[in-house]
Amino acid sequence: MVTRTSISRQEVYDVLSGVADPEIPAISVVDLGIIEDVEIEENRVKVTCLPTFVGCPALDAIREDIENALEGVGAEPEVEFVYQPPWTSDRITAKGKRKLEEYGLAPPTGRSPAGPTRLTLLAPAKCPYCGSRETVLESPFGPTQCRAISYCRSCRNPFEQFKVV
Amino acid sequence: MTNLSPAFKESLEPLLLAIADDELIMGHRHSEWTGWAPHIEEDIAFSSIAQDEIGHANLFYTLLSGVIDKSPDEIALARQSSEYRHAIICERPNRDWAYTLARHFLYDTAERIRLESLRASAYKPLADVADKLLREERYHELHAEAWFSRLSSGPMEGRHELTVALSEALSDAIGLFEIIDSEQVALEYSILPESNEDLLQKFLSDASERIESYGLPFQLSPSESEGEFLATSSGEMIEGSDEQAAAPPAIAEAEGKWQVTGEFAGMGGRRGKHSPEFDELWDDLTKTYREEPTATW
Repeated sequence: MVTRTSISRQEVYDVLSGVADPEIPAISVVDLGIIEDVEIEENRVKVTCLPTFVGCPALDAIREDIENALEGVGAEPEVEFVYQPPWTSDRITAKGKRKLEEYGLAPPTGRSPAGPTRLTLLAPAKCPYCGSRETVLESPFGPTQCRAISYCRSCRNPFEQFKVV
Repeated sequence: MTNLSPAFKESLEPLLLAIADDELIMGHRHSEWTGWAPHIEEDIAFSSIAQDEIGHANLFYTLLSGVIDKSPDEIALARQSSEYRHAIICERPNRDWAYTLARHFLYDTAERIRLESLRASAYKPLADVADKLLREERYHELHAEAWFSRLSSGPMEGRHELTVALSEALSDAIGLFEIIDSEQVALEYSILPESNEDLLQKFLSDASERIESYGLPFQLSPSESEGEFLATSSGEMIEGSDEQAAAPPAIAEAEGKWQVTGEFAGMGGRRGKHSPEFDELWDDLTKTYREEPTATW
């Protein structure tokens, strides 16, 4: 392993952009919007993250992946999860939303300054397969805490969507 | 956390423990639907809600671990059943689908009322967590509401089952707002921005208004919750008049609103008094930990 005395902010973000979400590998932790802050002191890097869902079982995996990636470039990492500000689905970047769609996962259906409402829940997601808006939410609960299940009436495929949180 | 005064800490502990235990035990009961729910979407829904609640419990135990210097696992799993402080409604067996949904509706309503209030807590970590959790909890309530809407507009049998289950679950739901140890101190420090008594009143207004909006033929029978026999964790039944486990107050309708009538003496969950069914749940919940307390996952 390389040892070094300093690391730039840009380099840290480049490394983090290469760390995939363990449950949705198409998107990086940066594009998912869970990186709240990066503090650098010489080669010590403190990364403050926001969990998408509090009970997300992937948090330890995310922590390890970030630590390993930063150690790989000779930094001494520390990862902390905090709850304020709360992570919201609005934090997913435009690039992140595109990546989700390419992966077959519809991005969140709207913005949510105050969290999910009946309206955000009923807003039809865009089908990631055929692009139709003729879709209906089947269940707000899916294979992971952050995903819901929808159905496309146009191409008749069930699909998953990222929840508005 | 070392800068917190002893009195502050002492009032924080029972509050965090009560909320964490509610979430853990409710999450455990929900998880019992995994593999058994009426259809696959509900199997996934209850499994997911269970995962949320147990995750929330873990977060509250983690906050508490900073106050009392024990690991979250130790707090969650290394206690005797009489040391748990959740409300009795959380431990009731799932029984059937109607009871499960009635309790789900009432529990998640109560949780929202509590979290909305805790956003103003003077204990900042708790206020932050409350804000975050409310966003996740919204999905639980929407899930319960979807079922209430479906069943209340459906055939008579479903309406009837839900109505009966609601009446039963409601008297237990009051226990979610039983006074906690050191509550007065928690109020003085504004750790608890509103008393459980005030929260209960809010809960009743909120729940009754929404239940009535579904047009459920709901009738309160206040006498049923008075002077009942209450279960203790040791399994013996003691009379409701006993000082150790006074009967919960009754609920009555007055001026079109549900009101608590009589003194609120609590049902005992917050004092470690539980039903015999909790001993079975506790055995199941803590078995692995008791066999190998030092195991890591």
